[in-house]
Amino acid sequence: MTVRVMVVDDHPMWREAVARDLGERGLDVVATAGDGAAATRIAPTARPDVVLMDLQMPHVGGAAATAAILERLPEVRVLVLSASAEQGDVLGAVRAGAAGYLVKSARLEELVDAIERTAAGDAVFGPELAGLVLGEFRRRERDRQASGPAGPELTARETEVLRLVAKGLTARRIADRLRLSPRTVENHVQNVLRKLQLANRVELTRYVIEQGIDEDT
Amino acid sequence: MSAPRARVDPRAGTGARGATVDGSAALLPLWRGLVVFRVVALGYAVANVVAAVGYYDRPALGVVVLALMTAWTLITSVAYLRGARRLAVVDLGLTMLATTSTLVVDDPARIGAGGPVITTAWSAGAVLAVAVAFGVRAALAAGAASIGALWITRRVVDAALLWDAQLLLVAGAAVGFAAVAVRRSAQRLQAAIATEAAAAERDRLARDIHDGVLQVLALVRRRGPRLDDPELVRAAAEQEVSLRRLITRGPVGLDVPDDEPVELGAALGAVLPTRAVLAAPPDPVCVPGGLARSLLAVVGEAVANADAHAGTDTGLWVLLEDDARTVTISVRDDGPGIPPGRLVQAAQQGHLGIASSIRGRVAELGGTAELVTAPGDGVEWELRVPRPGPQGER
Repeated sequence: MTVRVMVVDDHPMWREAVARDLGERGLDVVATAGDGAAATRIAPTARPDVVLMDLQMPHVGGAAATAAILERLPEVRVLVLSASAEQGDVLGAVRAGAAGYLVKSARLEELVDAIERTAAGDAVFGPELAGLVLGEFRRRERDRQASGPAGPELTARETEVLRLVAKGLTARRIADRLRLSPRTVENHVQNVLRKLQLANRVELTRYVIEQGIDEDT
Repeated sequence: MSAPRARVDPRAGTGARGATVDGSAALLPLWRGLVVFRVVALGYAVANVVAAVGYYDRPALGVVVLALMTAWTLITSVAYLRGARRLAVVDLGLTMLATTSTLVVDDPARIGAGGPVITTAWSAGAVLAVAVAFGVRAALAAGAASIGALWITRRVVDAALLWDAQLLLVAGAAVGFAAVAVRRSAQRLQAAIATEAAAAERDRLARDIHDGVLQVLALVRRRGPRLDDPELVRAAAEQEVSLRRLITRGPVGLDVPDDEPVELGAALGAVLPTRAVLAAPPDPVCVPGGLARSLLAVVGEAVANADAHAGTDTGLWVLLEDDARTVTISVRDDGPGIPPGRLVQAAQQGHLGIASSIRGRVAELGGTAELVTAPGDGVEWELRVPRPGPQGER
């Protein structure tokens, strides 16, 4: 089955080049959008499997658009593709539900592979993102010691897998080293993402309760 | 590239209205104080007239002057609080006129004997108003003019006149000085806010521009195979990595004193070869400059070792971790690795070599260096050093 892709990017040259490249590789580019607001508008009619999302865009940025699209279309998978994303923006998009992150300088084969894996339900988790997520959970650990429980923690095995991803090992190498199946490694990575998104919801809920604005939600 | 997201009014922060730009708004507390003084002094003047009206040559005129003083107190109170500082000049003139009206109202014999003028201390209000509005020199001039009006009225230089003169000049100068100081600091604050707003705007523009440049570089890199210029593609790729690292971690100066903090993520980004993939936490990892330099030297040695043994075409990954008590830097290549026993053998043959050099340097920092390697599985160094200080510095 052909993967249906929507390309969201405010840089026309880039948008067209990516759309053309993906088309040549047999992917079905069903729509393109120049900013987050347009993407959110178009997505319900375009019905993409995978949204390729830039982060730095005018008006509505990638993280906000990811949240908005996933709220309406929870079955869509968002893959963040960014040139210069600040670390907070990348984490923000992943917390909002993005299934992976790739830098724009990734080779075309890597991009196509990432899109196909994203469509298949895998998490596209490069070393940079693994480093960010690892740091994010360590920060939560510190905050937890200061201010009590704040959402789920990583298991020792998940931390181990995440560290190896951050050191650039492939899932197969990680599986070999830890004597696990590649599928189990992939499950651990997915669990880490889920926990990050869950932790985000826990934080949001706590924030809402603290602010005392939870009556009508 | 992105269009500007938020338009900043070029006048914003520098104050669109004059009231803000010259710092006058900050003077409001002084004006309030002046109003309070005026009202209290008016009460004193009323009491004085009530006590003295029986001795006046023209008591009715005295009551009229007092009524005018009351009306003027009300007018100036409202006007000053609304920022009408130029009114202080008119205020001074009218007050002097009210003071000299004592000549007509009162009995000249009483005045000559040192009796109070009809305005009493209320007349100081105008001098203070000039002080707040125009500063020290104007206050001294206004004080001198007020004393002149007093002298014209009394025609004697006695202890009372000298006492009044002294109070008027000192109070005027003090309040004038305070007003100038308050206004200057308000102006400085305004300037600082404006500078900061401009810097934030510049940063935002820079991010937009960098993002655009990165897009193009990334595009060149991706289109590489179709372009007929491998050298250009390689250069674009290197520039793309350098610029991306600079943007995600910020600029870094390594040339700082030993105890000044350095952000390790940015520092690694600046020194690592562009083929290295750098993974780091989202928050800054700050350690003292001396420790940072030592760590970077060890990392440099591990990277040079990877270059020498695995070659510069293999993958290279660097992971920075920070858990409050320790900072960990891992350096991994996916080259051929080192066969088991090779290091032991080398040590036995007296070649202490790179491994013991790295271990020794990390040990000097109070840390440990662990080597993981196997044939075909690359070489991985894990360098752990304790954070200085009881809690680290986070």
